[in-house]
Amino acid sequence: MSATIPPRRRALEQLVGFAPVLIFAGMLVHIGIQAPGFVSLLTLGLVLEQSLPVVLVCIGMSIVVMAGGEDVVAGGIDLSIPATTVLAAGILAQWLAADGGFVMACLLALGAALLVGATNAALVAWIGLTPLLASLAMFGAVVGVNNMVTASRRINVDHPIILWLRDAEIAGIAVGILCVAAFGLAAYHLLHRTRFGLHLQAGGGSVEAAEMVGLSARRHLAIAFLLAALTGFIAGFFVLARGSGSSPGVEDNLMLEMVLATYLGAAFSPRRVVTLWGAVLGALLVGAITIGFKSMGVNVFWLGLIKGALILTVVAFAALAKRGRA
Amino acid sequence: MTEAALSLQEIVKTFPGVRALDSASLTLQPSEIHGLVGENGAGKSTIIKVLAGIYTPDSGQLRIAGQHIHPITPASVHDAGIRFIHQELHLVPHFTVAEAIFMGQELAGPFGLRKGQMRHRAEEFLHDRLGVTIHGNRLVRDLGTAERKLVQIARALIDGQAKVVVFDEPTAPLASAEVKTLMDAIFRLKQQEITILYVSHYLNEIMGICDRVTVFRNGRNVAVFDDVDDALGPKMISAMVGRDLDDIYPARTRSFAETVMTLDKLTGPGFEDVSLSLRKGEILGVAGLIGSGREELVDTLYGLARAKGGTLHLHGKRARIRTPSDAIAQGVVLVPRDRRNDGLVLPMTVGENITLATLDEDATFGVENRAHARTRAARKVSELDIRPANTGAIVRFLSGGNQQKVVLARWLARDADIFVLDEPTVGVDIGARAEIYSVVNRLAQDGAGVLVSSSDPGELIGLCDRILVMLRGRVVAELDPARQSMDDLIALSTGATNAPQGQEVPV
Amino acid sequence: MSMANSPPMKDRIRGIFVRFGFLLIFAGFVTFFAAWNPVFLQGQNMLNIVEGSAVLLILALGMTLIVATGGIDLSVGIALDFGAAFAIVAMKEYDAGWVTAACAGVAGGSLVGIMNAILVVGLRVSPFMATIGTFFIGSSVQRIFTNGGGPISHRRMPDGFREIAMGDVMGIPLEVIIAATLALVYFVVLEMSVWGRRVHAMGMQRPAAIVAGIPVSRILIVAYIVAAATCAVAGLIGAASIRMFTPLAGFSYLLDAIAAVFIGAALHPRGRPNVLGTVAGVLFLGIVTNGLNLMGLNFNTKDALSGIILVAALALAVAQRKLR
Repeated sequence: MSATIPPRRRALEQLVGFAPVLIFAGMLVHIGIQAPGFVSLLTLGLVLEQSLPVVLVCIGMSIVVMAGGEDVVAGGIDLSIPATTVLAAGILAQWLAADGGFVMACLLALGAALLVGATNAALVAWIGLTPLLASLAMFGAVVGVNNMVTASRRINVDHPIILWLRDAEIAGIAVGILCVAAFGLAAYHLLHRTRFGLHLQAGGGSVEAAEMVGLSARRHLAIAFLLAALTGFIAGFFVLARGSGSSPGVEDNLMLEMVLATYLGAAFSPRRVVTLWGAVLGALLVGAITIGFKSMGVNVFWLGLIKGALILTVVAFAALAKRGRA
Repeated sequence: MTEAALSLQEIVKTFPGVRALDSASLTLQPSEIHGLVGENGAGKSTIIKVLAGIYTPDSGQLRIAGQHIHPITPASVHDAGIRFIHQELHLVPHFTVAEAIFMGQELAGPFGLRKGQMRHRAEEFLHDRLGVTIHGNRLVRDLGTAERKLVQIARALIDGQAKVVVFDEPTAPLASAEVKTLMDAIFRLKQQEITILYVSHYLNEIMGICDRVTVFRNGRNVAVFDDVDDALGPKMISAMVGRDLDDIYPARTRSFAETVMTLDKLTGPGFEDVSLSLRKGEILGVAGLIGSGREELVDTLYGLARAKGGTLHLHGKRARIRTPSDAIAQGVVLVPRDRRNDGLVLPMTVGENITLATLDEDATFGVENRAHARTRAARKVSELDIRPANTGAIVRFLSGGNQQKVVLARWLARDADIFVLDEPTVGVDIGARAEIYSVVNRLAQDGAGVLVSSSDPGELIGLCDRILVMLRGRVVAELDPARQSMDDLIALSTGATNAPQGQEVPV
Repeated sequence: MSMANSPPMKDRIRGIFVRFGFLLIFAGFVTFFAAWNPVFLQGQNMLNIVEGSAVLLILALGMTLIVATGGIDLSVGIALDFGAAFAIVAMKEYDAGWVTAACAGVAGGSLVGIMNAILVVGLRVSPFMATIGTFFIGSSVQRIFTNGGGPISHRRMPDGFREIAMGDVMGIPLEVIIAATLALVYFVVLEMSVWGRRVHAMGMQRPAAIVAGIPVSRILIVAYIVAAATCAVAGLIGAASIRMFTPLAGFSYLLDAIAAVFIGAALHPRGRPNVLGTVAGVLFLGIVTNGLNLMGLNFNTKDALSGIILVAALALAVAQRKLR
């Protein structure tokens, strides 16, 4: 009720909000000390390149969260993006391996991805499933379809365009990084610099506020699911480039990193909400931690544990900060 | 006389069974601040919804600056320059001030949003037109309530097309220090030749700011006062009330025994230094408008909010209530104001709701004895005459009065001796109200202490043995309903008169 | 008012859909599978369906409890894995008897529930986030423990333990009896006991439950632990039937368990998650899996089809409830 919050409480809140960031910084410093070779341009490039698919799916996920709000069950969440990515990669790989032509492969993969997005949108906005339930079920179905398409086999891809994405450099920077950066900028412009973007965010922030000025939060959420499927499709190319082909089982790890990075990103945002840059930064940090711990010689099996614990730390601190604010 | 800025003439609006507006008229002169007052249910909010195009009137017409507006739709009213500042804020918490103000009407160029320009214009508007300085990049959720209200006003007026602005209870959520900021802003708007319709329960604000006042009662305008000054209070109140007490209250034949609950300078979220005592057999009323701290006090007594200071004694012993279970264990039960959200589990049946607090008594080894529970529920259903008299009916589909009886029935089944009733008859028709009052009276006669928190002055005067009046977080007066009238109560709780010296509450 | 006597065709179709939609689909699937392969309807195959559904049913029971409290549990598979792992390790490394091993398994699974309870009640993390975190941590712990996910087999387990999966009473497999018993217990607890009444109340309308004095936190703690312990029992059955612990085996049941619960809730006249509905949901999924198997489709196609059927079933169930 009262408008003014004592400054000490305020500072404490800020600190609680920043805690996940501090923990991350601490981990990176620790890695830097333990593995001195880690802090170099070379590893930085490696981190970037390895993180490209995660960065892309995080962009998609943050669009949906922005449009639907941060309630993980009833708000905006799309767990099916990693599955869409893997499906797109699978279709591309299958078609290219059969020498079916690049354009046709792209069109098929894009069509499949958009179908997933449209189904999500219909399930959530029209039938009224909670986004969590809808996108989780879709995750299962899409992974199943992908396993059918690829017969659960690893398919190597050596199409020149995929190789170009993997190997080429412009002015010393990998093309993949440039492409994703360009896409990220375009998405940023759309979400934060256009009326459409603000309208989309308005629905996520307060459905009543949006509808009061005549904006349909539901329609924007449906569009967000389509945009997310689109980023999932694009991420498919980078999954192919990173692994030189499609292999089964990528989706689980991608989903873990997506959820972690997106909600971690909220801790980096000055507004303490999921944003595009926050999610991208979160994805890069998760990538850095992964590669960092690997270069320290930490058993890879521990990485899942560390990441799971990080997710919980992030959301627990977020819950704490919210309680302080209320 | 110049042409009226806005006039609603002989508006009739009926709902099934109710004539909400009975040939009501309202006329605003250009550049005036026009107050609209009336009790709950007098038709104020109905006429505003007609004006907003939300309700279509059965007959009557709307003229704006002489021009006949037909049909009245949200779009046609907006085009005619009428803007509404609704009671609810409805702003996106993580948007900046500039984004919130321009929401839905953003400035954009070929390269996307013109953020700098929006910020600049938002700040300029707030400063020049409303007289406040708020940085355009601050987040809405970091603003105080008054600042948010100003942002909401700016959002409605930023397009510069506004001619008439309707304020619906704008100060209800504000602390008293914040009210002045808002008043100044509204006064500035008047100087910019904007006509203002100001709807409020706070009569002191009405007298302080308005040029003219229209009083509504029973769905029509019963008085218009042209010269508003500080002496208008009693006249406005008698026009608003204009009725004798309904004959639905039980006679006061209760006798009081020892004190069961004492509050000493209790302080919590939204209220300060509240002291009171409640005796067995007594019905104690707490009056206060929204924002008076009355609701927060009730929540704190039941463990839904945490007290910050002061003490609470129950049955003469120091007590702490941290959760509703604590409260119930110590004999305090609550009939909450938001019946449909907090009082009842709507998808459950009447029987299931009634037995929810006494489950253990009808169970053998944890398994519910359905027959027992049903008998218990059925007994309460017939005792309180809940209709339909069917314990299997889904509570969601009951009328307000019957729903309230279900909540009461649940607590009657327990051995509680302190009943806190928050807005016990809101949304309840008059027949059921009389029944609820007789239940409350019986409770007190049987030796319970009852605390009734209500926004209905008639109910408090008719039902209670004593009434405490709260205003902006503090208890400002104590009333004796046997000697004082509804007018006195309204005058005190709306801030129209100050509590006379010596009538301050004894601690 | 002649319209009142004969409602428009559209409304009537809607009415039929609302009441029987899911049942019709169910019947449609049964007819289709029976027509495709007459073996489908034979008694032995029916028994196969029931036996094949036992593990999923046990998991879905735990999920029903959590969903009834208004949450969701993505870590049921981990509790299953832990149940299997603890039991196998107890027998293999410590020579435990089958009772001790079974208790160790249930206790191990309960750890998962304790962790969820701490997160949800203590730290007020939303159930989804808490259990997804538990899921990832639990998966990682299994990988670390098995050095990357290799199974731990234990061929010479005590007969008593083996019986959990292989034994039978009068021709009815023991695992079916265990699942049925658990279903009965859950039915009594959730649909007949006062505790279950409180669980439903808080799941439907948390604020009203709090005002009614229901100890919400205490119920949540118990619910998460009980649900995890239940899932551990499913792990025991799995471990006994293949005589080994396969890391991360529980994950494959997660989606089916969620779907079964929500299908069951949609079948309930008032949309509550409920034990009978969950049993029906599990049987539906069991029939689909079995039918697709009998159609002789390859593994991947079957997988894809059942994923799609699951999405459709959920959509239909929710749409049916919303129209009501």
